[in-house]
Amino acid sequence: MPAAAGIGLRKQHHHEVLAALPKVAWFEAHSENYFSEGGPHIDCLERIRSQYPLSLHGVGLSLGSTDPLNREHLERLRRAVVRFEPALVSEHLSWSSVGGRFANDLLPLPYTEEALRQVSSRISIVQDFLGRQILVENVSSYLQFQCSQMAEWDFLAAVAARSGCGILLDINNVYVAAHNHGTDCMRYLDAVPRAAVQELHLAGHRSVSVDGRELLIDTHDGPVSEAVWSLYRDALRRYGPLPTLIEWDAQIPALPVLVAEADKANAMQRSVYADAA
Amino acid sequence: MPTLPELQRDFMQAVLEGSCAPLLGEIVAGAITPMQRLAIYANNAETNFIESLRLSYPAIRRLVGDAYFTRCAREYRAKHPSRSGDLQHVGEAFPDYWVDRHGRDEFRYLADIARLEWLYQEALTGADHAPFDLERLAAIAPAQYDGLRFRLHPCARLFASAYPALAIWEANVGSAEEPEIIDLGRGGDQLLLNRSPRGVEIQRLGDGEHAFLEQLAAGEAFAAAIGAAQLRDLDFDAAAGLQRFVRGRVIVDFSLAIARSLDR
Repeated sequence: MPAAAGIGLRKQHHHEVLAALPKVAWFEAHSENYFSEGGPHIDCLERIRSQYPLSLHGVGLSLGSTDPLNREHLERLRRAVVRFEPALVSEHLSWSSVGGRFANDLLPLPYTEEALRQVSSRISIVQDFLGRQILVENVSSYLQFQCSQMAEWDFLAAVAARSGCGILLDINNVYVAAHNHGTDCMRYLDAVPRAAVQELHLAGHRSVSVDGRELLIDTHDGPVSEAVWSLYRDALRRYGPLPTLIEWDAQIPALPVLVAEADKANAMQRSVYADAA
Repeated sequence: MPTLPELQRDFMQAVLEGSCAPLLGEIVAGAITPMQRLAIYANNAETNFIESLRLSYPAIRRLVGDAYFTRCAREYRAKHPSRSGDLQHVGEAFPDYWVDRHGRDEFRYLADIARLEWLYQEALTGADHAPFDLERLAAIAPAQYDGLRFRLHPCARLFASAYPALAIWEANVGSAEEPEIIDLGRGGDQLLLNRSPRGVEIQRLGDGEHAFLEQLAAGEAFAAAIGAAQLRDLDFDAAAGLQRFVRGRVIVDFSLAIARSLDR
């Protein structure tokens, strides 16, 4: 995967991407959106894949759950990986199912030794099943558990060390979680093992007021905020140039708006690289 | 300290049923309360579910209006929570929900429209299939035709309703501001949905054709399917029907049933 900016692929843009072949380095698609056996979306992604590197990014595998891994879901993911030959495959450091019921949301884990064992072992099972490494992404969160025994960044680093997975560091999620829990973004960036980070995400968030207190919600429905751009620059200084995704999943803008955000990320990579040289 | 399975069980109850009490002591309060924090997750999960239903059922949403759709979607979710990490499955039982809710009143056509919308999704996302191998069929002796079992395209779906379902659906998935008024009593529809390279195509079927394809889809042999079709339509022409559906890539494969001996 090139160390440059890609954009999240939405089906509204399939035909425009194929017609215009915009100058972006790669595309990331939500794995589940391409789980079906056939149809126009599948055809479009195959054609886009023939022109661009691809990352498959899942939201539904529920790596942190304690009920059995959904083998059908995993098999569909395996088939998608065989079909589209993505350069990167990623999932989230979260859970979403228990007792066969799914919340279809990225629910937070307690940062305990028990959760660390559970999630690391499931990531290993998934990697063995797919026959490849996956990347695991930190999520935005709106609560913390009393029983947590370690910081999120230490948990993330330990998961990568134990399972051998890579890290997809979502810079917006680092920012949102740090704001919501009063933690330090820089400590987060410093604690993440540099060698494990293989992809970065950038996205927009929204501020809401709850009883007069400001809370940040990870909405993916607007441009990347200035604060997150600034944190991205700090991340690049620590980790070097990396594949970086512009995620924009709701109130989806015209394709050129996404391409312009990707250009901005590329310009920032170049300027940080020039500073370092 | 709760175990991870206990914590997740309580969390899911808070998200799906709003019963937060067992979990409140496990969450760091900080600037806002644990209840408010859980409400963010509950709201996200509900929004994701309902949004997915909206995308699968645009005509139902338009017919009943957004407020009633949302109310019904909440009620449906309480009875049929998501069983998959893939949101595209959550609408599977929604047609049954409309049977339960309006199956005995003047809105009972809604269940048929919901069924049509779900079949459309299935036709849109089913597997591709290679074209019919005519040479293989030519090698079969005519005496064996009766026992042939024809297979329909993986995307082919049959639909029947006592209401003009196709007209209702078409009027409510378009962008027209004021959909046309449709007389519910104007007669029913028997439809075939299938996917071509151009997308999902829907065609009306005669009584005989519908019965014929229904029998083939159920795995019945050619002779039995012709018999069922001719019970519905005396003029049903099996050779013409077969040719039309093979050409139209509705029938895509066949197998030869092994004759079972009855005199054992």
